[in-house]
Amino acid sequence: MSFSRFFRDRLPAAGIYLAVCLLALIFMKASGSDKQGMIMVGILMLAGGTAILIWDYFRRREFYSRAFAALETADKKYLLSEMVPQPEFADGEALYEMLSEACRDMYENVAEHKRRSSEFREYIELWVHEIKLPVAGMLLMCHNDGDAGERYVSQIRRIDDYIENVLFYARSENAEKDYIIKPVSLQKAFGAVAMKNMDALNERGVSIVTEGLDTEVMTDGKWLEYIMGQLLGNSLKYFQPDREPEIIVSAEVFPERTELRFRDNGAGISASDLPYIFEKSFTGENGRERSRSTGMGLYIVRSLCERLGHKVSAVSEKGSFTEILLTFGKNDHIKMEDS
Amino acid sequence: MSRILLVEDDEPIREELSELLKNAGYETACITDFASPLDEIMSASADLILLDINLPGVNGEQLLREIRRTEDIPVIMVTSRTNELDEVLSMSYGADDYITKPYNPTILLLRISAVLKRSRGNNVQTSYRGLTVDTARGSLSGERGELILTKNEMLIFRTLLERQGKIVSRDELMTVLWDNAEYINDNALTVNISRLRTKLSDFGCDNAIETRKKQGYILI
Repeated sequence: MSFSRFFRDRLPAAGIYLAVCLLALIFMKASGSDKQGMIMVGILMLAGGTAILIWDYFRRREFYSRAFAALETADKKYLLSEMVPQPEFADGEALYEMLSEACRDMYENVAEHKRRSSEFREYIELWVHEIKLPVAGMLLMCHNDGDAGERYVSQIRRIDDYIENVLFYARSENAEKDYIIKPVSLQKAFGAVAMKNMDALNERGVSIVTEGLDTEVMTDGKWLEYIMGQLLGNSLKYFQPDREPEIIVSAEVFPERTELRFRDNGAGISASDLPYIFEKSFTGENGRERSRSTGMGLYIVRSLCERLGHKVSAVSEKGSFTEILLTFGKNDHIKMEDS
Repeated sequence: MSRILLVEDDEPIREELSELLKNAGYETACITDFASPLDEIMSASADLILLDINLPGVNGEQLLREIRRTEDIPVIMVTSRTNELDEVLSMSYGADDYITKPYNPTILLLRISAVLKRSRGNNVQTSYRGLTVDTARGSLSGERGELILTKNEMLIFRTLLERQGKIVSRDELMTVLWDNAEYINDNALTVNISRLRTKLSDFGCDNAIETRKKQGYILI
């Protein structure tokens, strides 16, 4: 708040004050006061008026500059009323009251939405848990029915994959800590994922090569399996008909990090698409041309990696290969707790 | 015949699971009333328990703890929840294995037989047609000396040997190999089996492995 802007506000009041001063002096002259006395009274009146103006300006300025400073540094700006002292002038009090009311309402709104979103998430988790029962039942039925039932297995597995997507999307979007960081064997995690996709992999005759997976990284096992499952699923979608499909999964241990490379010799990603593949709802050329893609898979992968403190990146050449690199830090879990 | 107790509240799953296990040659028992599951579990005298984590009115992990106070019977925990916490808790309460729904039936059977084998001690068959099978060395030895098998060949041979005289499907062999981090494809499995056949017949075991079309293989 600049003084000139403040003064402009006070201009009418100052005008009235000066007019009253002038009138008073005129009365003094009419009642025969001496000149010196009139000058004295005039100076006193002006000085007093100016003092009142300046004092008024400074106490306002103090409040507003503190409020602006608080606003600037605040992480949640809707909590502003909690961070500024209550002003002691009338219009400031009115403003403060309104601000408090608005902030409280906003806070309640935010809390309400947080509650709803976490309730919704809990419901999703429960729903996923429930829907897995009939899926499990159907898989058993298929197996028990022998060859007649085998036809349905791949479709049921698809349903299961989509269900997993919902679950992990809900997890990646929410801030609650529902992961456990502990040493996870890459061999074991990849084994579980490969086993889950065994039928699909064999159907395509994919050869799988693993190197150096006999190591452990600090992560959440279930999340890592989901991430690997997404990568494997993508590879399966985009294999080229003209060559033997191959997936190479390799890990390399460095003093401060472990790198996991997930490489396939599929369709690859064009250079123009590559920077966006981890974006939400991005479906590049491949997604549009070959299969219905929701653009969620790699987005969820990246979100989960961010939450776990891992890095994820991709290298690819259109028509030749795609390689996804996951980097696990030695201390990812510690970094995460700080944030 | 091993007796497996199913502690599962979802009826369709319980019935299908029971059928699956019966087809695989196990005897099954089920708990249908969950008012006092612990007493029923204790009186079922099973060789292995498949214990669901989400049961009406009681938590499977709690139940596992109660069982472990008095019994050493092998327990495989089953759940449809996919989080690490359940697995960590179950294992720390003394579960022998942990598997999530929906499970691959072949893998479930594989796990059950592995846990049962472990609980019975290592009284697995170690000889075949007068040859001594040494899994650790990856070899068969007899009068003609030592026959070295690759890891894949040994896994296939062992699986067939454990079920000697019975059909083992390609799917099962494949599952065993993949479970041991050998991700071979269909062609490679065929190659491995024919190589194993040749090795065995060169070593004096003619026609050891028979092919049953569309069913699998039998070790004679």
